[in-house]
Amino acid sequence: MAKPGDNRQEEEINPNYQVDSATRRKAFRAMLGYAKPQRLVFLGVFFCAILAISADLLQPYLVKVVIDDNMLGDQGAGRVIGLGLIYLLLAVISMIFTYLQANLLQRAGQSIVAALRKDLFSHIAKQSMSFFDRHAIGSLVTNESSDTETINQFFTQVLLSIVRDGLSLIMIIGFMFLLDVQLALYCLVLLPLIAIIAVAFRKMLRNSYQRARTQLSRTIAFLAENLSGMSLIQSFHQEKEQVSRFSQRNRKYLKESLREVRATVIFNRSFDILGNLSVAFVVYLGGMAVFNSALEFGVLYAFISYIRQFFQPINQITQQWNTLQSTLVSVERLWRIFSVEPEVRNPKPEQAKELGLERVRGQVDFNHIRFAYSDDRDVLRDLELHIKPGEFVGIVGTTGAGKSSLVNLLARFYDVRKGSIQIDGIDIRQLKLESLHRIVGLVQQEPYLYSGSIIDNVRLFDESIDRDTVIEACRMVGAEQMIKRLKKGYDTLLTERGSGLSAGERQLISFARILVYQPRILILDEATANLDSHTERLIQQALNVVSVGRTTLVIAHRLSTVQQADRIIVMRSGGIIEQGSHKELLQQNGYYADLYHHATRGTAAGQ
Amino acid sequence: MTSYYPLAGILETRFDINITGAMPLKLPDNWINILKERDFCHANTKRGVRRLLDGRRLLLTHFKKYGWIYGGAFILLASANVIFAFFPSVLQRFADAYEAKELTRQAIVDYSLLLLGIGIAYGVLFGFGQYLNHRMGRIFEYNTRQRLFRHFTRLSEQYYSKNGTGKLLSYVMNDVTSVRESIANGVNQLTNASVLLVSVVVMMSLSELPLQLVFVCVLPLLTIPFLVVYFGPRIRDRSRQVQESLAEMTESAEEQFGGIRVTKTFAVEDIAEQRFGGTVEHIKDNQLKLVKMTSAFQALIPFAGALSLVVAITYGGYMTIQGQLSIGHFVALTFYLRMIMNPLQQIGNVINTMQRARASLERLNNLLGIKPDIQDHEQAAELPPGAGDVRIHNLSFAYPDSWQPSLSGIDLQVAQGHTLGIIGKTGSGKTTLVKLLLRVYDPPEGSVFIGGEDITRLSLESLRTQIAYVPQDGFLFSTTIRDNIAFFKRDIADDNVEHAAKLAEVYDNVIGFDKRFETQLGERGLTLSGGQRQRTSLARGLIKDAPILILDDSVSAVDAMTETSILGNLRSARKDKTTIIIAHRISAVKHADEIVVMDEGRIIERGTHQELIRQRGHYAALFAIQEEGVSHG
Repeated sequence: MAKPGDNRQEEEINPNYQVDSATRRKAFRAMLGYAKPQRLVFLGVFFCAILAISADLLQPYLVKVVIDDNMLGDQGAGRVIGLGLIYLLLAVISMIFTYLQANLLQRAGQSIVAALRKDLFSHIAKQSMSFFDRHAIGSLVTNESSDTETINQFFTQVLLSIVRDGLSLIMIIGFMFLLDVQLALYCLVLLPLIAIIAVAFRKMLRNSYQRARTQLSRTIAFLAENLSGMSLIQSFHQEKEQVSRFSQRNRKYLKESLREVRATVIFNRSFDILGNLSVAFVVYLGGMAVFNSALEFGVLYAFISYIRQFFQPINQITQQWNTLQSTLVSVERLWRIFSVEPEVRNPKPEQAKELGLERVRGQVDFNHIRFAYSDDRDVLRDLELHIKPGEFVGIVGTTGAGKSSLVNLLARFYDVRKGSIQIDGIDIRQLKLESLHRIVGLVQQEPYLYSGSIIDNVRLFDESIDRDTVIEACRMVGAEQMIKRLKKGYDTLLTERGSGLSAGERQLISFARILVYQPRILILDEATANLDSHTERLIQQALNVVSVGRTTLVIAHRLSTVQQADRIIVMRSGGIIEQGSHKELLQQNGYYADLYHHATRGTAAGQ
Repeated sequence: MTSYYPLAGILETRFDINITGAMPLKLPDNWINILKERDFCHANTKRGVRRLLDGRRLLLTHFKKYGWIYGGAFILLASANVIFAFFPSVLQRFADAYEAKELTRQAIVDYSLLLLGIGIAYGVLFGFGQYLNHRMGRIFEYNTRQRLFRHFTRLSEQYYSKNGTGKLLSYVMNDVTSVRESIANGVNQLTNASVLLVSVVVMMSLSELPLQLVFVCVLPLLTIPFLVVYFGPRIRDRSRQVQESLAEMTESAEEQFGGIRVTKTFAVEDIAEQRFGGTVEHIKDNQLKLVKMTSAFQALIPFAGALSLVVAITYGGYMTIQGQLSIGHFVALTFYLRMIMNPLQQIGNVINTMQRARASLERLNNLLGIKPDIQDHEQAAELPPGAGDVRIHNLSFAYPDSWQPSLSGIDLQVAQGHTLGIIGKTGSGKTTLVKLLLRVYDPPEGSVFIGGEDITRLSLESLRTQIAYVPQDGFLFSTTIRDNIAFFKRDIADDNVEHAAKLAEVYDNVIGFDKRFETQLGERGLTLSGGQRQRTSLARGLIKDAPILILDDSVSAVDAMTETSILGNLRSARKDKTTIIIAHRISAVKHADEIVVMDEGRIIERGTHQELIRQRGHYAALFAIQEEGVSHG
């Protein structure tokens, strides 16, 4: 789903979407930076290309020699065989270098793209959570897969075409001049004509291409959504209505795609006709020259061949147009991602402080913090909270009170706007992100599992953590029974998002992670919501195990989850309004007591 | 019940696993590969599959309908190529005239004009033919997508549960496109190549070129189709590997970005990067393997062409010098050879495209051949409007492909205007029951009655019109809030929409947005919170004001206070109508006229809230856990 700041839609909807050329140039230059380490390879490709096209380009010239010197001239038949052998040799060279060139180029292109993909990945992984709020994962994945792939196509197709076809073009023109300057000059009249046609069609082609693509992506988006919502469509009996809505989009796409086909056909055939026209033109001009004995017949033959060959590379180059277009778009998209600096950054070396994991006591201080996701509305206002080492703190309040924001700040998914958060008296902004994250562990409402074995899911693929540690952790959180029921036990492969396990079972695995990684401060963000009561009890037991000896913050939807906490923090619209133990809070007869009674009132009435 | 898509069944029998039952899922390690074999589909299996159409049906209908247009296109393309084949012979006559010193100014002009005419005629005729073919291809694409979408709306949840959206999209995108390309390009290139080839061969034999010379020259070219057929499948295999490794990387990126919080929380970014980097390197290796094939292919084809020109220059040149061949013929020979290199290559390409498209076509035909498993009975009756009493009689049900029953011996009666509450653990059969009521799956005949009628004998339309269903997930479409709420009848009055929104306690949220009910949701619009989504979805169900309303854990993401007011609204709005509420939380059902507790597909307790509390059974225990505070406080 698109979020603010994601401009992909705009690009696809508006065919005239333009980014100012300065940005475009900058972006393009940045991408070319990736090509720099490969420049020797590119030089190699260039030389290969020259040799690869040699046979094709020299053939008319050789035939010309045969015609003029051997057939019309007095050179013997023996030389014909010699020329044939030369051509054979050229053909072999051409074959070898065509092969080499393609392999070299692909190697260079792939190295560039691999580097780009890895850099992009680590750049994205470095971003703070606010980045992920603004960018949908789907669109990041597109950046990572399609956009980089387009850049690969640029290097392997567009660049190849420019080098190979450009060289062909230059060499053809060179041969023409070598053969006859006057006729060559006449032929060059074609160049402006070609330029005019190309420019005239350029816009038309690009527009029709963009418009067809926009319609296609709309159709597909509609389809994808309807497939996911099919059960709803059926249970509301809206099949006909949705079919007709699909029809509208499909029809629009048909219209635009036909327009695109027309544009392409007209463009290609115009070039064809122009090519044949110029052959006729050369035959006329050259024929007259031959007639006046100003030109050898073989030269005319070569000219006819060359002028026919002349259009092939031009055609090839123009076919790269669409690829070049999408490359530019992709480069811009990638540039937009690359130019985002992570909002949460490691401390500067001179300010960094060390806090060894084993020495952490687990005292947490929120000092007058203020925080907002966007500029308009504060989520936390001047909040003050001090937690003792090893304390078990429950946080309650309605949705939007700022509970999750509070713990997100402690994990530095975001940075505070004002005030500071300290662990054992050290501002967390002075800690390296890595060591902070080793200290603070978080269990979320939706446990996230990777595709991989249970062992790997618990140790998060860190092979330096041995099997026994993992098994011990699973045993302690009470997951062992569940895992043993699986056919392959700890080696059972889980699928993405852990389908095949119930919500509670997945949550148990994420609890086991805590015991493996041993953070000193533990946060549970609604980790027991959405579970049925039976599983919740299992989880509660696991919680009792993992919270031992740790500073623990538990955010809960249901008050019953945190009743046993040392202290309960009651939050409302970005601030703490009450705190104390369950009993104390009930005695205060304030907001907490209200919430509590509300949750239980119905029951009392029922009884 | 027969399954039309026995994948799960096959996995089960082959690997001794159970997919749809209540047992935990145990999949073999290589299951993803099994699924990835795309051709591994229902067509080749014995059990429960009906292939209604054979592999060519889709194309036959198309060609039958548009046959005359294709005929026209063929005539255009054929005449274009026949005309084009005269090109070298004009040059030959020109050269011969020159050699015989018979060239005049007028002749030069004539020859040039002739060439010009050939060029223009070829371009125009070919252009029109080509356009017609491509147009037909696009129309095929349009019609097929249309059919697919209509077909999708008929397939049941059973099908969707086994085929992910990605797979279905790939039918619509990749398979349709690949068939379209192969019929548009295939017809074009095949017509082109065959007509040009025939014309050139005819022209060559008519032009007094010595046959043995033509034969020797053409010999190397004849290897081209073989090269194409040899390399084609190999290139395709390797390019499939590239595609698969790309997909692997995409999946990895999706997984890693999706789990970014976990990665950050445990500071394992390095490991994530390593794992992702592995998939990137894998693509690189596969690409380099692919390019070895493609580049060998790309180098060999021109080489074959060059060889035949070598023969033409040496042998033909020798004959010309010996006086056995005119210069004109020598010139024409070289042009003819250059002309037929392309069609020969195209014939090979066509063979490859057709091969690729055949698999796609088969997949499409199989998909369209799947018979929807929920259909109207032959003598389907209409449900009398307003009927709201539900009777379930000794209902047992097992999902297709599962030997374990999900429901057994269910007996229930909900009188018109009453409210039924259903409580139970995940997997206890609550949702299955609802799915049977809506005929998402067909219940056994004679077990579920609404208004006294067996629902399997009712038309789907009348049944589903009279039931309003609110699912748990709160799925909304990317359209306006208004259209989402008024989903059952898009032209309903605004007052109704607002009223429904008020009942679902989402009205205040909606009017807080700038565009109120016209606010666009989803892809290009606003993202609602989980609770807001659920309440909007609730409004969508309530606006129907249907005789039967089913809430499937529909307020789970709503906070306790709002839940209370929603339940209050419901009670007054649905006084005389039947309501079925499924919930995890007792608070949502305790006012129901009857509450049933389900476990492992059976009803284990039933009664009113107070009766159940007094029974001191499961319900009472659950109540104690959920409302722990009361006993402690």
